[in-house]
Amino acid sequence: MSIVAGCDVGSLATKAVVMERRRVLAAVVVRSGPKPGASARDALDQALAQCGRSAGDVSYCVGTGYGREKIAFVNETLSEISCHAKGARFLVPSARSVIDIGGQDCKVIKLDANGGLVKFVTNDKCASGTGRFLEVMAKVMHLPVDRLGELSLQARDPVTLASMCTVWAQADIIKHINARRPAEEICAGINTAMANRVAMLANALRLENDICMTGGVAKNKGVVHALARILGQRIKEVKTLDPQLVGALGAALLAAEQAGKVNRKELPP
Amino acid sequence: MTALLSQAAQSIDLEPLRAFKAAGGRLVGYTCTFLPVEVFHAAGLVPVRLRGIGAESLNIADAYYGPFVCTFPKALLQQVGTHHYAFLDGAVITGGCDGMRRLNECWRKLGADIPGVLPPWFHYFDVPHKPEGVALSWYQDQVRKLIDAVQNAFGVRIDEEALGRAIRQQNRVRQKLWDLAELRCRRPAPISGSEAFEALIARNVLPPDRYLDELDRLLATVQNRAVPSSDRRRRLFVTGSICDDLALVQQIEAAGAVVVGESVCYGLRNTCALVDESGDPVAALSAHYLSGSVCPRMFGYYAERRATITERIRQTGAQGVVLQNIRFCDLHGSENGLLERDLEQLGVPTLRIEKEYGALTETGRLRMRIEAFLEQLEA
Repeated sequence: MSIVAGCDVGSLATKAVVMERRRVLAAVVVRSGPKPGASARDALDQALAQCGRSAGDVSYCVGTGYGREKIAFVNETLSEISCHAKGARFLVPSARSVIDIGGQDCKVIKLDANGGLVKFVTNDKCASGTGRFLEVMAKVMHLPVDRLGELSLQARDPVTLASMCTVWAQADIIKHINARRPAEEICAGINTAMANRVAMLANALRLENDICMTGGVAKNKGVVHALARILGQRIKEVKTLDPQLVGALGAALLAAEQAGKVNRKELPP
Repeated sequence: MTALLSQAAQSIDLEPLRAFKAAGGRLVGYTCTFLPVEVFHAAGLVPVRLRGIGAESLNIADAYYGPFVCTFPKALLQQVGTHHYAFLDGAVITGGCDGMRRLNECWRKLGADIPGVLPPWFHYFDVPHKPEGVALSWYQDQVRKLIDAVQNAFGVRIDEEALGRAIRQQNRVRQKLWDLAELRCRRPAPISGSEAFEALIARNVLPPDRYLDELDRLLATVQNRAVPSSDRRRRLFVTGSICDDLALVQQIEAAGAVVVGESVCYGLRNTCALVDESGDPVAALSAHYLSGSVCPRMFGYYAERRATITERIRQTGAQGVVLQNIRFCDLHGSENGLLERDLEQLGVPTLRIEKEYGALTETGRLRMRIEAFLEQLEA
């Protein structure tokens, strides 16, 4: 039975999803290396191994992410905007808005009732409002980045970060550490700063319900809760798949649509 | 495309300018479309619109301007500071916006700090922000002062006859540029946006006789060019900030679109009408150049500018509009917000891009947004 695949080469992580008849067979996240093409190959090979298939079984593969042009084996490349919209809509069929926060950018996407792309905006100012912001702040806190969310939910009196700048916010955090503020309160301050930044972008599009959040940062419950509070709107969480994989999932879904239109194509070895 | 038009769009150092200079000709740099270039042509000088292309660092400009300023005047000052404009015999600065107005002060100070970068003649040409009444009288006065200053500085005489000849020649250029614009309206377009934009940019930097020859050659080539019976590429229109960034148009087209028109500085927007060839040439030039409908630097004329752009979108058959502005450009940043709202109400999809000037742009994310916009139009 032929299968389809989607590869999303992001700045921090590379993701691959393998599907058969709109069902996810395998999904893998690997750290992006210096060569986007090699990272994509690695992720897809791991995903294929996970479901016991080979490259020859893949009838169509769509590449996305900042490194998409460097993936030699894909049949087609599409923007992350289309892929995240497709993937989010598949997982949350009522979604009319998608907020994707990746390693180095943030995208807000508005969809019509049929899931068609209506409008999108991306951040283009600086690193704040991206996954990189959280990574830098976690490093200053000597914490793994995936603990920022869970810790922040325990905070009673979150700190306020005076600066949105990734560089100056570090100095701000060191100040709070030296003042012996509890880690959970600093983490909550970091997540709120992040959410404030993203909310500025989201408000530019006047988002409609339901809002779905995708990308690695969607795993940080502190950011999700803070963002929902700031926007005054509920954010529907992706529960059936790692939200970091939504772009690759969308790429695989678009690959499935294309596979139906074209003759079977073999992946080069 | 003729090789010279292509070269002129991509380089400051041009053979026709070197040849003109070697033959004793004099070159004057200028910065804004609100300056009547006919004054220089009437004086036998060649006006060269100043550009920041090629600036890949702003280490000099940052010292004079500071960080939160549009990178266009900064890139231009950087090129001045690195002696790329050492060939100029004069320069005229216009207060097109506050960033460009400050170029007057920054360049003068740079000239005091770095020997040889300030041309022998350096003039400030003031342009009011309204096109009628006392503002128009003020502008006419500025034009007359400019004529006097050029006569005194270069020892030439600018009379009505010479101004009339220059006006007629520039009107010929304008007519041919509209011929080019009409060709781009055809479906499929027989000329790419990049090729057309090269010709539009070149107009600002080449001696007019040479430019007219090249433009004639281009028009003849394009008129006889075989085109496919259909073209699935999306037709896009580009508007917004000052733009002589050929790479932007090339990047849009590399993503699978064709740019069928633009309303940008260095483009067609300041050639929307011909200059009146009868009567007082200074009055005719003033009425033409001090227009409210081409640039958001002019107060109270947004409706006219929107109408002009909307009509051009209709004529060109554009299916989407790229609203670009250089970061910290308040004028176009604000106006793009209004255009985004109004065009989308008319059912015209838009993509807003805020970027740095020219080579200072981060192209990876820009490419993703353009591709996503085309996918949006495709859907």
